Amino acid sequence: MGALAHYLEQNAVPTTQISLIYEHTEAIRPPRALWVPFELGRPLGAPGAADFQKEVLRSALTLLEAEKGPVLEVFEKEAPASADEDFSKGEPWACPVSFSPPAQAQSDQGKRISAFKQEINELLPWYEMGKEARGRTTMAYFSPETAAEVLCNYLTGKQVEAPHADMSLAVVLRLAAQDLKAFYFEAVISKPGADVPDSQTFTDWYGNCTTAGGILKELKKKLTNEDDKDLKRTGQMFLVPM
Amino acid sequence: MARLNEMAEPMRSHLADLPCPRFDSTPWASGPKLSERRVAILSTAGLHGRGDRPFQGFEGDYRVISSDTGANDLVMTHISTNFDRTGFQQDWNVVFPLDRLKDLADEGVIGSVADYHYSFMGAAAPAQMDSHAQNLARLLKGDKVDAALLVPV
Repeated sequence: MGALAHYLEQNAVPTTQISLIYEHTEAIRPPRALWVPFELGRPLGAPGAADFQKEVLRSALTLLEAEKGPVLEVFEKEAPASADEDFSKGEPWACPVSFSPPAQAQSDQGKRISAFKQEINELLPWYEMGKEARGRTTMAYFSPETAAEVLCNYLTGKQVEAPHADMSLAVVLRLAAQDLKAFYFEAVISKPGADVPDSQTFTDWYGNCTTAGGILKELKKKLTNEDDKDLKRTGQMFLVPM
Repeated sequence: MARLNEMAEPMRSHLADLPCPRFDSTPWASGPKLSERRVAILSTAGLHGRGDRPFQGFEGDYRVISSDTGANDLVMTHISTNFDRTGFQQDWNVVFPLDRLKDLADEGVIGSVADYHYSFMGAAAPAQMDSHAQNLARLLKGDKVDAALLVPV
């Protein structure tokens, strides 16, 4: 990010930036930067906190009035807990959706895949409800059923259909996996009265307590053993968090 | 939260070991007072319009996002799995603060919001972005932008 500021300023475009990793910005020395103490993925702090987001934004933009630089300021406030995420007063997050018995332990791949598709069917009504209420979904290329189909077809050696002809298999699988995770999140926050898990709680639940999490681990294993370097790298790096 | 010494492994080492480009000096472009600036967002979150080309690898190119894009029209295809997306999934302004920028323009804090915004995919090597950034600078100046707000993810 800081390098981009250098390139633009060299071409006479004034910049200011938000910084998420202090040490990187300190090393790169862009002209104007505001370091914020928020988690990666949330540069403006918290969802649904318009006034707080505006305060962050105003702080970053005000650096444009500095007379000389480089300027690296620190935004002192922590992100507010969102009203929906503020469930954690000693209570663990409980998934509001009741699944059929978990199938991660199923030894038969066919049964695991059936259980995976069943899990998606159970989440679909909540996903649809949330999508309508929010007027938005962050699933980018696939419907929930198609994302599942793509991943299962690859796992079972069947033909994988790409949504666009110029997408490689590695890209198709990564996008399907990303869309699937978005689907699970949007579904579980959509039941009326449901608490919103914080990011780590959701990631842990998705990876360890759903059949989808088990399918992704299988996918990672198969991709990592591929000879094709893009498929191998996708398995190693782009399916599940470090 | 995102100070390296407070992060869990292996993420801490991964980020600490990322090579940072070094520059001999810091360039400094100036402009009018903030209330007269025209501001564009430059994100590195791998954002683009629904139906636009996804980010596929480490090419260092960018996508154009029109100022009249709605929240449901913007999707994220960043390749990394190592940052939170649930904030963006609840409220796009956590990553792409277009509504907030419009608020600040309405309040007179900034002059105006640019017609176009841009997103790179931040895992690309900075050197890959250099030539694209030069082209981008021309586009920004064509849109009379005199403040680029760079937002990482």
